[in-house]
Amino acid sequence: MQRKLTLGFFFAIFICSTFLPIAWMFGNSIYGNGRLSLVYYNDIFLTQKYVTVIFNSLILASTTTLLSALIGIPTGFFLAKTHLPLKNIFKICFFIPLIIPSYITGIAWANLLGKTGFLNNIFSQYTLLLPESISDFIYSIYGASFILSMNLFPVVMLIAEYALKNVNHRLEESGLITGSIFQVLRRITLPLIAPAILSGMMIVFVLSLSEFGVPSLLQVNVLTTQIFTQFSAFYNEKAATAIAFPLIVITIVVIMLEQVYLRGKSFEVLGRTSSNSTIQYSIPWLNTAGITFCIFVLSLCVVMPLITLILSTQPVSAYHDAFLLAKKSITNSVFFGSMGATLLTLMGFFLGYLCEKIRSRLKNSAAVFIWLFFAVPATVTGIGLIKLWNRPEGLFQFIYGSFWIVIIGYVVRFSPLSGRIMANYLKQIPYSMEEAGTVTGASWFRVLSNISLPLQRYGLVATWLISFMFCIGEVGTTILVYPPGHETLPIALFTVMANSPMNIVSALSIIIVAMTLLPVGVFLAISKYLVKI
Amino acid sequence: MNALEVKNLRKSFNKKEVVKGISFDVEKGQLLALLGPSGCGKTTTIRMIAGLEMPDDGEILIEGILASQGHKATISQKQRHIGMIFQDLALWPHMTVYENIEFGLKVNGLAKAERQKRIDAVLNKVKMHKYAKAYPARLSGGQQQLIAIARAIVTEPKLLLMDEPLSNIDIKLREDIRQEIKHIQQETQITTIYITHDQEDAFLLANKVAVMNAGILEQIGSPEEIYSSPASLFVADFVGESNVINVKIVDKGRILTPWGELACNTKGQERGNAFLFFRPHYVKIEKGGYGDGVIINRNFLGEGYKYRISTSGGEIKLHVREIYEIGQSVRFSVKRMEILFC
Repeated sequence: MQRKLTLGFFFAIFICSTFLPIAWMFGNSIYGNGRLSLVYYNDIFLTQKYVTVIFNSLILASTTTLLSALIGIPTGFFLAKTHLPLKNIFKICFFIPLIIPSYITGIAWANLLGKTGFLNNIFSQYTLLLPESISDFIYSIYGASFILSMNLFPVVMLIAEYALKNVNHRLEESGLITGSIFQVLRRITLPLIAPAILSGMMIVFVLSLSEFGVPSLLQVNVLTTQIFTQFSAFYNEKAATAIAFPLIVITIVVIMLEQVYLRGKSFEVLGRTSSNSTIQYSIPWLNTAGITFCIFVLSLCVVMPLITLILSTQPVSAYHDAFLLAKKSITNSVFFGSMGATLLTLMGFFLGYLCEKIRSRLKNSAAVFIWLFFAVPATVTGIGLIKLWNRPEGLFQFIYGSFWIVIIGYVVRFSPLSGRIMANYLKQIPYSMEEAGTVTGASWFRVLSNISLPLQRYGLVATWLISFMFCIGEVGTTILVYPPGHETLPIALFTVMANSPMNIVSALSIIIVAMTLLPVGVFLAISKYLVKI
Repeated sequence: MNALEVKNLRKSFNKKEVVKGISFDVEKGQLLALLGPSGCGKTTTIRMIAGLEMPDDGEILIEGILASQGHKATISQKQRHIGMIFQDLALWPHMTVYENIEFGLKVNGLAKAERQKRIDAVLNKVKMHKYAKAYPARLSGGQQQLIAIARAIVTEPKLLLMDEPLSNIDIKLREDIRQEIKHIQQETQITTIYITHDQEDAFLLANKVAVMNAGILEQIGSPEEIYSSPASLFVADFVGESNVINVKIVDKGRILTPWGELACNTKGQERGNAFLFFRPHYVKIEKGGYGDGVIINRNFLGEGYKYRISTSGGEIKLHVREIYEIGQSVRFSVKRMEILFC
């Protein structure tokens, strides 16, 4: 009973905080003046301008997905299947793009390829390209796709690497007896890992479709930026909601298609063998190709953007100026991020528990339902929160007027993610661990506090730190809901971009990067103390 | 009074009935082995007894107290007072051996001094006293088994449930631990249900064996009864090696076999089809035997040979000490046989 009530309570919080604002928002958009009306939806679907915006969004998501696959699959292959030198260093470095907020990479690349950028100068001097056309590229949908793929390809890479490592080596060996490496890769390995790769590509598609930071920075006209414009510039929340509708529909369709495609399929061959037994190809030229490719990718996604930002912070006093300018925002970010991460870890534990540890047919549906909300664009979440919380009643006004609305925004945005992370950690603990406590007559809370939670120390710390990183970088929801005086660091960055010199913008970007990378360092430093056994 | 009474227990998962109305009793201090192939419902049965799964129907009484009726638990988990050893042992890796054993005692509200006394006693019993401060991961597989036993018996449960605890260890260690389990059970006299798919475990440990198949209890009895007089074709086939031949009952005590008419206990039947069941070592090769056959296969078993012979009633298996050549014609007779019905 304790278990049912607790899990029910957290699921209800999830529904109220996440589902309700969005449902409320859509309900409002079709109801006005005492009757149902689809006038805003008619405008969207019958106006050429918005059809173009929908297409822009689809092009952005598709191109980003394709580029991420083209970079992520070979990188995953080199990491999993070759004797690549410095493999572990590459692995850690390829995590960095995932951690750094995408708009920071965007600022760096806009710097590099902008009209006066370093790379723009080189390209325009040594190729037939004009400085304007290079600059136009980076401020286009394809430029945004390029930047987003630099940030999101590690998703495909990680999944491809994991899948490649876990392909049953006997299946490949039996092919190698009669065929060449490339025949085996094409005819055996790739078909086996295709479902996993497709799953990774779907994640990239959904994330890039709902991305706000980079399109907003590069002034690319897609659905997410249109939602923001309609809401913030024209104060037309119903139109903003109507624009969000196709975004939500596309996202749901993509996720449902993925679920249907992967049902009972993805891991039949994968994950049964130890990763130590994977086949690794020892071909010198393959290793050379691998290291060349990895260095090239690393320089594009980490080295060049970071060096550009560091170099453009001259003089060093820019850091001091940036710090003074954003001192309050830094404090806010750390405080809100910590609060958000703590609540997200708590929510994540119980949502993960619901998705993984209950013996019910409903658990898979619950997992898909919760995960759907991770794909809800940040701007849509922001408008939903405003619609629900911006009302004169006491509690609503208190929350909407205080930092709590930012924290709620974090919880709404990232609880599906923290739930997913915790579910993966919880999955590793057999049911029998808790049952061994239950048969002694211990209550569920006692089993939870003495067995389940201590066994999850590592998972809890990891979830907290990942949640913290995501909260620190969050911009799409925060930019809509933050009350005056409660700006976070990314908001400060977006503000100074409009009215401060580039060195201050770069310095602030570096501060954000440091704040997001710091938890990773902390985690690496303390992780060995978390595993006592 | 029986330590456990199970009456008409039923359980379904996803509309598939996995336990189909089974009933059995276990006397106090006895060890009952629940023997059956994978998926026959034995684990589900003890999980229902443990209270980890709620039955769909039926009753469970522990020492005469109704523990569950229908799909409702009538007493709390604590009141069931059960010890359980899981297939994967489920030792908590973040607790020391001492803390693992202490958990159940703490839950039951025992004072520190009493806990200490009981833990010392149980660790001495399983000869693991010097490992009290070790973490489970530092112990060998056999030592972990002993700690799992210690953790399960330290609370002096009314009922000890063991879910295939020997399934993941090698043969040599298996024999040692099996002896240890038998010794501890006899010493503590805790009523025990031991789940296994291995008849050797069941026969060596149990006072009684209950054979399950596809959610049904096929037979319950002493190991000797199960082996010598199987109640069904399934039991005959699952427990030990057996020969089963189609026969006709021609009269009370008379059956028609492919090798002629023979005298046999027909269990009151006077007419009809039946199966003749006999163990390979009840077949004797002798000149005056009533059956004819040809040796078609021979395997050395150490203390004798295992043969397959082709007869007019089909192939039969036999174990004898003497050497016969493949292709050799022999005459045989069966010294002990049983009639089984479908």
